[in-house]
Amino acid sequence: MIVLFIVVPLVVASLLPLIGKISRRFLPDLLANLTMVFLLGYALTSGRQLVAAGSAVHRIFFMDQPVNIVLALDAFSLFMIVTIALVSLCVTLFSIDYMEHYGAKANYYALLLIMIAGMNGLVLTNDLFTIYLFLEVAAVASYGLVAFGLGHDELEASFKYLMLSSVTSAFILVSIAVIFGFTGRVDISGVAAGFADLKAKYAVGFCTALFLAGFGLKAAIVPFHAWLPDAHPSAPAPISAMLSGLLIKVSGIYAMTRIFFNVFGFNAALSQVMLYLGTISILAGALLALGQNDLKRMLAYSSISQIGYIVLGLGLGTPLGILGALFHVLNHAVAKSLLFLNSGSVQQATGTRALDAMGGLGKRMPFTAATTVIGSLSIAGVPPLGGFWSKLIIVIALVEARQYGFAVIAVLAGILTLWYYLLIQRRAFFGKLNETWQNVKEAPFWMTFSTVILGLLCIAIGVFFPLVMKTWIQPAAAVLSAGIINALHGMGF
Amino acid sequence: MHIALLAGLVVFSVVAVLLRDLLKAAISLAVASIFLAVVFFTFNAPYIGVFEISVVAGLITVLFVSTIALTKDSGDVKESKLPVIIFPLFFAAFLIVDFLVMRSLIGRLISIPGAAEQRTFGDVFWYQRTFDLVAQIGVIFAGVFSVLALFRKSGRKDE
Repeated sequence: MIVLFIVVPLVVASLLPLIGKISRRFLPDLLANLTMVFLLGYALTSGRQLVAAGSAVHRIFFMDQPVNIVLALDAFSLFMIVTIALVSLCVTLFSIDYMEHYGAKANYYALLLIMIAGMNGLVLTNDLFTIYLFLEVAAVASYGLVAFGLGHDELEASFKYLMLSSVTSAFILVSIAVIFGFTGRVDISGVAAGFADLKAKYAVGFCTALFLAGFGLKAAIVPFHAWLPDAHPSAPAPISAMLSGLLIKVSGIYAMTRIFFNVFGFNAALSQVMLYLGTISILAGALLALGQNDLKRMLAYSSISQIGYIVLGLGLGTPLGILGALFHVLNHAVAKSLLFLNSGSVQQATGTRALDAMGGLGKRMPFTAATTVIGSLSIAGVPPLGGFWSKLIIVIALVEARQYGFAVIAVLAGILTLWYYLLIQRRAFFGKLNETWQNVKEAPFWMTFSTVILGLLCIAIGVFFPLVMKTWIQPAAAVLSAGIINALHGMGF
Repeated sequence: MHIALLAGLVVFSVVAVLLRDLLKAAISLAVASIFLAVVFFTFNAPYIGVFEISVVAGLITVLFVSTIALTKDSGDVKESKLPVIIFPLFFAAFLIVDFLVMRSLIGRLISIPGAAEQRTFGDVFWYQRTFDLVAQIGVIFAGVFSVLALFRKSGRKDE
């Protein structure tokens, strides 16, 4: 029952505001976390069998009546589902203590679960128009969550995010309309088959450009990145973790990749565009991150830079490049959500996000400091952590494809990344303890617990990387490498 | 006939963007939406036409107008004049691109199988696009809970 991935969070979300009237804290905490434990457990235990069973397309039956809901689960979507469940579980655990002082906890969890349902729906659907709808589900929930603090900055960031996101939606919708006009279909395999027959080169080019702009905005690739450095830092820390760790990847990278690889088919021109956009994102994100004084803003710019690596790997289009990119999706999701959660711990303890004002916090918050070091090193690509392997694979893939220029830039930007992450460590956690923070304490239990889990994950993914590669990443990459053939036969009708 | 309707739609949309007075802008948007609804009717899509009139021209305009009526006029917000200059330029550029793209695209569109219109609206809605309904429910929940969350009494301790 794949549909549970969407229906369970949606149903729990609809009940939460009512439950919030009975119990303001305990029950919402419990229910939200149980839901996430269920989703992760279900994805891990039954997901592989469902994919291995071979029937990628699943029809839903309700009381023995067929309902016209067609879901497609292949290794690529399963990989995304597991990543979503993993990071979301840590985020809900973190929220138990962190969201105490915001109030309206039941409402917060409801929106969070709707966002998760939206992402799961987007990943599982087999239909372009439904992709658009679930994109909106996740987006509408995230507008509310970004503004959840109700402060001036939060509202402004949310408004900016809302405006740019509506432009995105317009691009995507126009493109879907044109596709429908040409092929008369909106389901992925139907459209792929339709375009294969038509030989409509210009129409494909036009739609690709629109999708690139639309999903590029969602993924915050460089010319379309303006909203991210405002929206991500303003949100409450767990939401920043969700947005940076998951949402930009699911609604940007996943949707873009699925359409480009499995519907239109990958081509040389698109590859060039993606390589350049990726490289510009890597450099611009890294350079802008260097100059930041606000901890969360620095992390947000770093997200742009790391998304650049993913786009670079995907843009290469070779099996190895795709492999590295997908592995980097997982590594960045885990490490960046860890860093954003830790920035929340620091902000709650000290009341500031300015790196200038911090200093020596490592002595007072040992767990937060230690996990931040692990997350930073993983993203910066220091062995043996996860980020090292994914960046290494991307660079090897670039060299193998004789794209030496891009490879050199990717390596040099890795050094830049290490530089600004070490800056965070030095200015926030090491050095002399700032007098003001004499009485600062370590974050509460659940917050520390969830960040320690993520920290351990960063290490485990790195150490056991052959295992992770073999079970999760390689099957997912194979789906993309197979290209359109996969959409036509694997998801076939 | 179609050209006139579409021109009306575009003109009133542009007016809605350029007008300073929020109330007039809202009404202009409603008029634009009525033009769009008529276009839908002439293209044999009565259901979407009815939705357009009742929801966009009706419900949303009522919401806009009541919000404008309820908000106090603070009057001291100086808006920048820049959009008035930039918007027409942007709009002209958009029209040119639109014209060029559509000219090459439009002849190549296949006529969409008329099957959708032969089946009833309910059929399509319930049996063909069932999964979209789940997503619609999601969007509605997300909207309602966002409003509930954003208009709550701030439970945040004063910092």
